[in-house]
This record gives sequence, C-alpha cells and structure tokens, in this order.
Amino acid sequence: MRNPLTLTINGEQHDLLIEPHWTLLHVLRGQIGLAGSKENCLEAECGVCTVLLDGKAVNSCILLASLCAGRSIVTIEGLGDPEHLHPLQAAFVKHGAVQCGYCIPGMILTAKSYLDEHPDRMPSRDEIREAISGTLCRCTGYQKIIDAIAAVAAERAGKGAQEDAP
Amino acid sequence: MRPNQNTVAGRRLPRLDGAAKATGRYVYGTDVTLPGTLYGKVLRSDMPHARLTRIDVSAARAMRGVRAVITSADVPQVRYGNAVKDQTVFATDTVRFVGHPLAAVAADTLEIAEQALSAIAVELEPLPPLFDPEAALAPDAPLLHPDWQDYVALPVIAREGNIAGRSRMRHGDVEAAFAQAHRVYEHRFTTALQHAGYTEPRAASAAWDSTGVLTVWSNGQLPFEVQATLADILELPVSRIRVVVPGIGGGFGGKLRIGVEHFAALLARQSGRPVKMITTSEEELIAAHPRQAAIITVKTAVSADGRILARQGRVVVDCGACSGSGPGTGAVALQCLVGPYRTPNLLMESLAVYTNKVPSGSFRAPSGPMANFAVESQMDIIAKDLGIDPLEIRLRNIVREGDLGPAGEVLKDVSIEECLRRAADAIGWHDRAAEPGRGKGIACSWWMTTGGSSAVFIKLNGDGTVALTSGAVELGTGALTGAAQILAEELSLDLEDVRVATVDTLHVPYDYGAQGSRTAFSVGNACRAAAADLRQQLFALVAAQHGVPAEEMMLRDKCVVAGDKRIPLADIARQQYTGGGLVARGTALNPPPAYDPARVENHPLPVWNTPSFHAHAADVSVDTETGEVTINRYVVAQDVGYAINPTYIEGQIEGGVSQGLGQALSEEIVYQDGRVLNANLTDYKMPTSLDVPPIESILVECPSAAGPYGAKGVGEPPCIEPPATIANAVAAATGLWITSLPITAEKILLRLKGEP
Repeated sequence: MRNPLTLTINGEQHDLLIEPHWTLLHVLRGQIGLAGSKENCLEAECGVCTVLLDGKAVNSCILLASLCAGRSIVTIEGLGDPEHLHPLQAAFVKHGAVQCGYCIPGMILTAKSYLDEHPDRMPSRDEIREAISGTLCRCTGYQKIIDAIAAVAAERAGKGAQEDAP
Repeated sequence: MRPNQNTVAGRRLPRLDGAAKATGRYVYGTDVTLPGTLYGKVLRSDMPHARLTRIDVSAARAMRGVRAVITSADVPQVRYGNAVKDQTVFATDTVRFVGHPLAAVAADTLEIAEQALSAIAVELEPLPPLFDPEAALAPDAPLLHPDWQDYVALPVIAREGNIAGRSRMRHGDVEAAFAQAHRVYEHRFTTALQHAGYTEPRAASAAWDSTGVLTVWSNGQLPFEVQATLADILELPVSRIRVVVPGIGGGFGGKLRIGVEHFAALLARQSGRPVKMITTSEEELIAAHPRQAAIITVKTAVSADGRILARQGRVVVDCGACSGSGPGTGAVALQCLVGPYRTPNLLMESLAVYTNKVPSGSFRAPSGPMANFAVESQMDIIAKDLGIDPLEIRLRNIVREGDLGPAGEVLKDVSIEECLRRAADAIGWHDRAAEPGRGKGIACSWWMTTGGSSAVFIKLNGDGTVALTSGAVELGTGALTGAAQILAEELSLDLEDVRVATVDTLHVPYDYGAQGSRTAFSVGNACRAAAADLRQQLFALVAAQHGVPAEEMMLRDKCVVAGDKRIPLADIARQQYTGGGLVARGTALNPPPAYDPARVENHPLPVWNTPSFHAHAADVSVDTETGEVTINRYVVAQDVGYAINPTYIEGQIEGGVSQGLGQALSEEIVYQDGRVLNANLTDYKMPTSLDVPPIESILVECPSAAGPYGAKGVGEPPCIEPPATIANAVAAATGLWITSLPITAEKILLRLKGEP
C-alpha cells in the first residue's frame, strides 16, 4: 500500500508514492535516482548514507522517508557538480582526501553540517576528528580528510577576519 | 627521459576521478540497477558442520513476487576455487561453516526475497565441528573434505587431508647452527581474523542477453578471474561471459575472489530477468574473505653479538571451510619470516588448514603482518636479552645490495638501512628517556611488487587527448591516475588529456588484476611501451609528410617537433582518420628474477619481483590503570622507488597504517562455537577518526630497474609493520610482549596484573 509523499530535495519538490517502511536512503537511491548517498551497513554504523536534513547531518539509512515531509533535504548532488565544486568538494580533491570515494559524500556532508553549526571560529584538528568520527573511512586513515576540512575552515576564518578588518 | 625532468609524473596532481567521487557522480557496483531487475538473497547455514538432509523450497517458490529459487539441485555440480577447486556454489550434502550458502532467491523486492528465505525448510544433522587448525592437523582428526583427493588443484600445491597447501623454503643446515649458537630463542604468536573493511559491500548485477551471453556488473578486483570462475561454475566458455566493473568502493584484497556474481548469474538465468545482489554487513563478517587467523612459531639462533645464524619458522593459516587464498597466503608468509635479514641457515614451512569457519581470503599484504609481528617481536626480545639496541640489532643483520634472498635470488636496489635510519631519526630513537608507561618501538620488513602481465590500448583522439584502455580496475588507490601520469609524461600531454576507460572484459586487454601492489607499476610499464609505439607511428607519419628523419623528432608540448616544424598531435590524429586512426598498444610482462629452485618446495610465489623495503616507528603511551594504548606519533619510511604521485602514496601509507593499527589493537572477527559474535560494524572495531594518530610519511626513492621511472610497489607494505611496531612500543613502555593480536587493553591489563 503506497502513500503519497512530497519531499524537498536539493531545493526541488518531488511528488512520490512510497511504502510506509521505506527509508530516506531507499527513496533517494531507488525512487529519485540520487545515488550519491551511498549504501552499506543500513544500521547507522558507517555513515556513508549521510545527508543533510534541515542542515543537520543524519543517517538516511534508518530515517523513514515519511518523516521528512516538509523538511529540507540536501544530498551530495545538491552541493556542487564537477564543473562547480563546493569549497569542501574542491578541498577534498585538492588535498588527496578521496581514494575509493565511497565514504566521501557522507564525509563532506558531515563536515558541512559541522562547519555550519560552528560558523564563528576555527575548529582544532581534534574537534574535526570528533565531528567526523561517525563516518568510517577505510582508505585514508582520515589524515587528508582532516587536512581538507581544516583548510576550508581556515579559508573561511581568513575571509571572516578580512571582513572584520576596519 | 629523466625522472627529475618530469612535469606530470612525480607531481602532486589531483586524481582523475576525484571530482566525480566528491560530487557523488561516480558510479559504483552497488549503484548499478538494471531496468526490471529482481533482487537476490542467499540463505545461509546456521550450523558450523552438519549433514544437509533435506531442503524444501516449494513454499518459497509459490510465494507471490518470487521469481527464482535455486539450491544445489538447480546448478551445475562443479567445484571451483583459486588454488584448489574445493568450493561449490551451494552446500550439496555437507555444510562446513555458519554462513555456508544453502539456497538463493530472486524476487520483485528485497523484502519478498527475505520473506522467501524464511519459507525454505532446511534440515541439518550436526556433525562434530573442528575449529582449531592445530587440532585439524592431528593424525586422527576427522577430514573436513573427505573427498580431498578428488579435487583439482594447481600443480604447485601440495595437499594432504585437512592441509589445503603446504610450502617450504630451506637453505643451509639449521640443526647444526642451533647446536653451535650462542643462544636459541623460540616463540609462538597468534593473530586474529580481520575483515578487509571496504565501505562498499560486495555487489553484482547480472543479465543474460538473447544470444546467451551473460553480462555481470561486478565490483571485484580481478575481472578476468571473475570471468574465469563464472565460466567454471556455469560451464561456459569465457567468451560468453562479460564482466563490467563500473567502480569499486575499496577492496584491499577482500574483493579478489568471486563475491555474489555467481548467485546473481544463476538467479538471472533461472528467472529470465536481471538480478541485483548486495551483501549485508552481517554477511560480510560471517561469509566474506577475511585475512586468516594464524599461528606462527619462530626459532632463531644468534651469536653473542646478535647476528642471526639460523631461523626455523612455521606458519599455520586457518583457511576455514575452503582453501580460498590460503595456500598462497601461507606460502608468502615464509619470505616475511626470513625478513630483510641475512639468514645463512633457514627452514620455513607454511600450512594452510581447513576448519569449520569462514573461508578466508587475501587482505592487503595477506600474511605479511602476521609473519612480521612474529619475527619483529622476537628481534626485540632477542635484543633485550643480549643488551643490544633494537635498531642496532637490525642494522647488524639487514641484507645488503647483491646479497641472496631466501630463494637464492640476487637482491637489488636494497634500501633497508636508509629506511631504518630515517624512521629512527624521525621518531627520535636516540632520545628515549625512561618514562614509565611510555615507549618507542621500531619494526621493518620487505615486500614484493607482484608480477603478472598487463596490456593497454591507447587511442589518440582528434582533439589531441588520449583514451587509455586497460583491464586494470581502480580500487581507490589512485593507481590508474598514476599510470595516466606516466602516459601523459611520455606523450607530452597534461594529465587531464588522458581518459581512462571503464573495464569491460569484452574489449579490454588482459590484466593480472588489482592485487599485490602491482597496478601503477605494471600498467605504468605498459603505458610506457604503448607511448613508444604511438611515438613511432607519429614520427613515421610526420617523416613521410615532411621529409624529416624520424630519429630527429621528439614530442614536446603536445606536438611532434621535427626540425623547425611543430605539428600538433591533434592535427596528426585528425589527418589519420583517413588511415584508420591512431591506435597503439603496450604490454608489460614483469618476469620474475632467477632463483634457486632447490630452496623452495610447493611455493606458488617462490621469488619476489622488485622488492620494496620499509621501516615503521611509533611512540606510544600505555595507561597502566586501563591497559589502553595511545599512539603519540607514528612514522613510516618506505622505499617507493620513484614517487609517481607523492600525495596518493602518502594516502596509501596513511590508510595502510590505519588498517594495520586496527589489526594491531582492535580488529578481530570473534568466533565462539563456530558462530561470529560481532557480525556488525559497531562490535567489529575498525579504527575511526578518533583512533588513528597523525602518520608521518617519509618517501625513500631507491629506484628499481624494472618499474616505470624506477617505481616499486606501494599499496600493501604500509599495513605489514604496524602490529610489530605497536607490540615493540608497548613492550618498551611496559616490559611485556603481547604475543597475540589484537593487543587489546584487556590483554595488556591482564599481563600487567601478572596473568599469563
């Protein structure tokens, strides 16, 4: 028995018919064709399915799609495209933070959520470590991921300092 | 062309697939969904060893939305496998591990497929299980494969009963050396099952076309082995099987052997529909291809000044229910048991042994970390006993240029001293002020650059760019970006001018596969050969047109430079459309060096190609109240021969070390009575961003004769030394050697409290 549902994803409305038990990840990948949100444990243990819900990073694999009505969903496809990379995406590529890349959409969205929540200061590397600790990466040892996030944060802090300057 | 004049190779350029991956546009195996696809699931045994007396799928077949149900009765009765053909698609009459496939279902949805699995009636009569590989070696142990003598195996493999493979290396007379030595040390070490931990589960989609050709979209590391294994299982010629590898979310050796491709293919054949399958985390942890648990005994004789006189070693790898990668993995441990040390007398034996556990595979540097943990821990134990500095005892024993390796091969481009000294200097080895609960450890090793052939086709496009087609897949390491850097360098192109084609066995040339630290090395060599072929063609065309001798031409800035003329490659490519276009080919054979066959017995990899050398050092603190280990600093000095792209080599080192730290400190697939107790990603503890310390990489460049611009294999070595390095650092901090992996806080605390 499928029910109608309207979701706002990357700023666009999608009118859907869904089963009540479908997760947001299932709908994104299976119904809408946004495969950038990745699939692995389906138990909120690995973080590769992370999306932004009203700006906050959430594991879409355990979130019922029906609970997302009326809320803003942003997936990795909503951040930038290969010709117009978001600063976090550009930094991940530049700093060698991408290897197999399977965890990277979730990592980037987790980082965005964290940086957006802390707009006024430069986080330490340990704070960045803490912020991304819910997303497993097996390839990189996290070092270059932290480099990339720190670089974006530093650039933002630099810009802020310039704007504040008299 | 001299490496130090390179403008593309050797540079920290961003990888070719980076933007696609960072924007979620890159397509992985799990992303392939064919129109009208069904979803497949596998029913697995919940007993470790049992007779399968009845399986009834009639209720499952009758369910609405179920399109295919298959058991052993529905598939060819074929045995397949890599070294030993001892595996069947489904259990026929005996189940041999918890997780052993019994049946598979394809249905309109995953939910229906799961419901159908629970509608299958299975009757199992328990048989006495065998979990301990040493017990399996006992003369009166029950045979887990009573028909083992009927199995087909590679000619090199020696088998007997529960032993799926036995290899030996020998030289000199160890007994005489033991009798005359200053001291003889003997220790036993154990290591645990470790999952490769790729974040993309194994996945496959399969579809049969109207001509009877099967296409499988796989995320396996060895598309040609997947093709050959499917040919065995389906009893078809390889030309009827097409394997496409869209993209791979990590493999680390765990995706070498076939995963779920065969189930998808068989279900697709029975249903007449495409079938997609993805393994769950639980299936990954109970029924994938983890790194074997091993038992290693090492006996070493030394002189009073700490020189190795003889070493005898035995490694028992627990293959689980089928041999999997076990025979080769066990054998490779032997070179690591010798290590990068002069060993005048040696006698090494590996045994790959069947038990009622998960069939295991060949995770990154398959048996290297286990063997290295044993010999490098023992080196420190010896050093302490003899009152010699651990760095010094290593420097006294390391191999030198021109020495003979364990198979009697001549060792070339040996850099172990530089690696040890640079790692030691970086960690501050000579500043080890006594501080309770804090210590520094060091360990070193060597490893092969696996041989096997590669071929590439390159096509010069009308816009001057090049398409690179090879059978090598990109696991995530960046190896194909590295190969493309070499190709671009050779053709005076920018890296972005090289487009790497997706692997499809229908049209790509053969490649031995993404394994054994070989892809950038071997495909890079093939790219150099292909570039030479293309240059020759270009120069011949220009010579015919402009009358300049080909010997006086060169490529520069995307042009053929002929005397005072500069002809853009794009122009030549377009002109040559009337001549069938410009296509070139290159191959790399990577032959093994000469060795002494009298030193090896039944060893599938008797001699190592282009070995690399490396040393790791760590500074750790141990909390004596909790046993918790904190890594303050971690340093790697690794000889990479020539750093094709330093950024991604550092990435290999940082990632490999973090996997090694997982094996050292936390990772273990825990079995109790044949069942895995921690089959989920919360209880199976891979390092998170909070667990991995900063890792400092020192890239040593001692060029090899065989690799592109002198490169050596890079990918596997970083995970070899971490367990030994941590064990030695923990010992320096506590005075205690933990001889079983992982070195958990619990083990340390029990030892600190005086328990054995």
